[in-house]
Amino acid sequence: MASKKVNKKDVLKLLNQWRQQFAVFVPSRESGVATMARWEGKDTGFLDWYRNTVIPPKANFLPPMEEMFRFQKDKAGYRIELPPSDGGKQLIFGIRPCDARAMKILDMTFEEDYEDPYYLSRRNSAVLVGLGCNNPGDSCFCTSLGISPAESNDVDLMLTDIGDEFLVEPISATGKELIARSSGLKGANKADEARAKEAKETAYNKVTRKIDTNGITDKLLACFDDEKFWEKVAAKCISCGICTLLCPTCYCFDINDELVRQEGTRFRSLDSCAFPVYTKMPMENPRAEKWKRVRNKVCHKYAFYPMNFDVIACTGCGRCIRLCPVNWDITQTLESVPTKTKVGK
Amino acid sequence: MTTTNISPSKFLAQDNVYLPHIAVIEKIIDETPNIRTFHFNFNDRKLQKEFSFESGQFGEYSVFGIGEAPFCISSSPTRRDHLEFTAQRVGRVTNALHRLGVGAEIGFRGPYGNSFPLDFLQGKNLVFIGGGIGLAPLRSLIWNVIDNRSKYKNIALIYGARTPADLCFKYDLDTWGKNKTVNMVVTVDKGDQNWTGRVGVVPKILEEAAPSAKNAVAIVCGPPIMIRFTFPVLTKLGFAPEQMLTTLEKRMKCGIGKCGRCNIGNIYVCRDGPVFSYAQIKNFVSSEY
Repeated sequence: MASKKVNKKDVLKLLNQWRQQFAVFVPSRESGVATMARWEGKDTGFLDWYRNTVIPPKANFLPPMEEMFRFQKDKAGYRIELPPSDGGKQLIFGIRPCDARAMKILDMTFEEDYEDPYYLSRRNSAVLVGLGCNNPGDSCFCTSLGISPAESNDVDLMLTDIGDEFLVEPISATGKELIARSSGLKGANKADEARAKEAKETAYNKVTRKIDTNGITDKLLACFDDEKFWEKVAAKCISCGICTLLCPTCYCFDINDELVRQEGTRFRSLDSCAFPVYTKMPMENPRAEKWKRVRNKVCHKYAFYPMNFDVIACTGCGRCIRLCPVNWDITQTLESVPTKTKVGK
Repeated sequence: MTTTNISPSKFLAQDNVYLPHIAVIEKIIDETPNIRTFHFNFNDRKLQKEFSFESGQFGEYSVFGIGEAPFCISSSPTRRDHLEFTAQRVGRVTNALHRLGVGAEIGFRGPYGNSFPLDFLQGKNLVFIGGGIGLAPLRSLIWNVIDNRSKYKNIALIYGARTPADLCFKYDLDTWGKNKTVNMVVTVDKGDQNWTGRVGVVPKILEEAAPSAKNAVAIVCGPPIMIRFTFPVLTKLGFAPEQMLTTLEKRMKCGIGKCGRCNIGNIYVCRDGPVFSYAQIKNFVSSEY
């Protein structure tokens, strides 16, 4: 299917059409924090300010907190029931290529062995409409992870800003279908496509922060037991967990119960390997020391995930750099990994 | 490697892997002042009949309103009129478990994880080395082996606890002690006036007993400190890393390799273990075990 285009003023109409069929989420500011929030059909003002959300779109699939089931005790004993379903198929409008790739990375964990029904039911029914990044930030380093800020194969539809219009490219079968059913899209011509190509190249070259990921897994494993190195890396970390909670590829969660009289809820909530309690057992804690926790975080992304899934669990979105209260910088850490060969164990 | 990999349990394959099955506590045994064994059965009779597991596997047990915690199934798959698990009162969930009485309902998800590699153990001399509550997973295997006695060669058990009061499964120890095909040594770190048995920590008693490594496999489970001191003794006795098995314990929540916390490097104890050979452990990226 050939590319289409839509005038920026007509995005409102397009979203309104999609709203008939999907729960549409767009970049929004909730209490000043940019997140993908339910679109109420009012305006597309977000197009003016949106760079990327603070809360990554993973939250639409793995919410910070969610009910897993409810339980109730009566004379016959405990009864378990699932919570009511949460509002149907999602269409996420404006997801950035880095965050779209993050969803693919998360899929690997939630699809492996035992399927995670909460994540996958949302994920499998969702439509992702990507929006290319024309102005990547200083902290972005997606190109070092094989991601282009304005191109993506991890979405259903991809939009590129070409001035007064967006070029609309169908990526998946779902995307093609969505275009076919949508009105108000015009056919794109060669000039439109040329402008989009130029925009993509310009965006790509705007990402100036680079890291060398070549051989990074082996390098990290070689210095895994280098306590001095990791203590230096972890020195200023305050174990607040922001870099993991707001990371689009971090998925660790906790499971807890809440009980009011005889009615209870089991819920899960995001957890973080930055917290000492995360691994704490009654008699011991394998990662009581901060440097071990920081080591786990870095190595999970750049060594363990590649060992298990053959992909680095980082998309270079830069959130952990932008949002860290003490300016910890993963790119500095990765660049400072000593090069040495592992001697014994 | 030698351990069996169990694929996601098919017969428990319901739509939602996180939903526990309701089970009833049928009997409670005080093992020590703070360790209890719970006998339980599923409310769903069909499930009770069809449920299958292997020695070494574990489950996630719920005390509704308090939370979930992982424990191995401490009974043997060869004895199936009920299931058992053993819990030490140390945290929130285990304290709540210890407050439950017979007839109380709990939740169970599982079985999860891999198991002791029976095919690999068959035809071999087995040396069980346990400490404290670490006898729980070994016990599932010991009964399993005794119930299929002809498939295995000599069985030795070295079991220790801090004091005589801390010895678990005394009723089993009595039975095994009378079994002429089981060579058992029970020891305590510190005796009391009634104690007439051995005194000394498990690795030391193991060194004295000096079981032969020939055609043998050592299966070790106990507190981490005991495990760490036992491997070197076994090595000295001639056991190769492949001949030493253990089952590891970590904080777990999901039990199925998703929630993250039980990792040792790229290994997830819940999914890739809990049973590992020392050969595997030595190859772990991390020594956080």
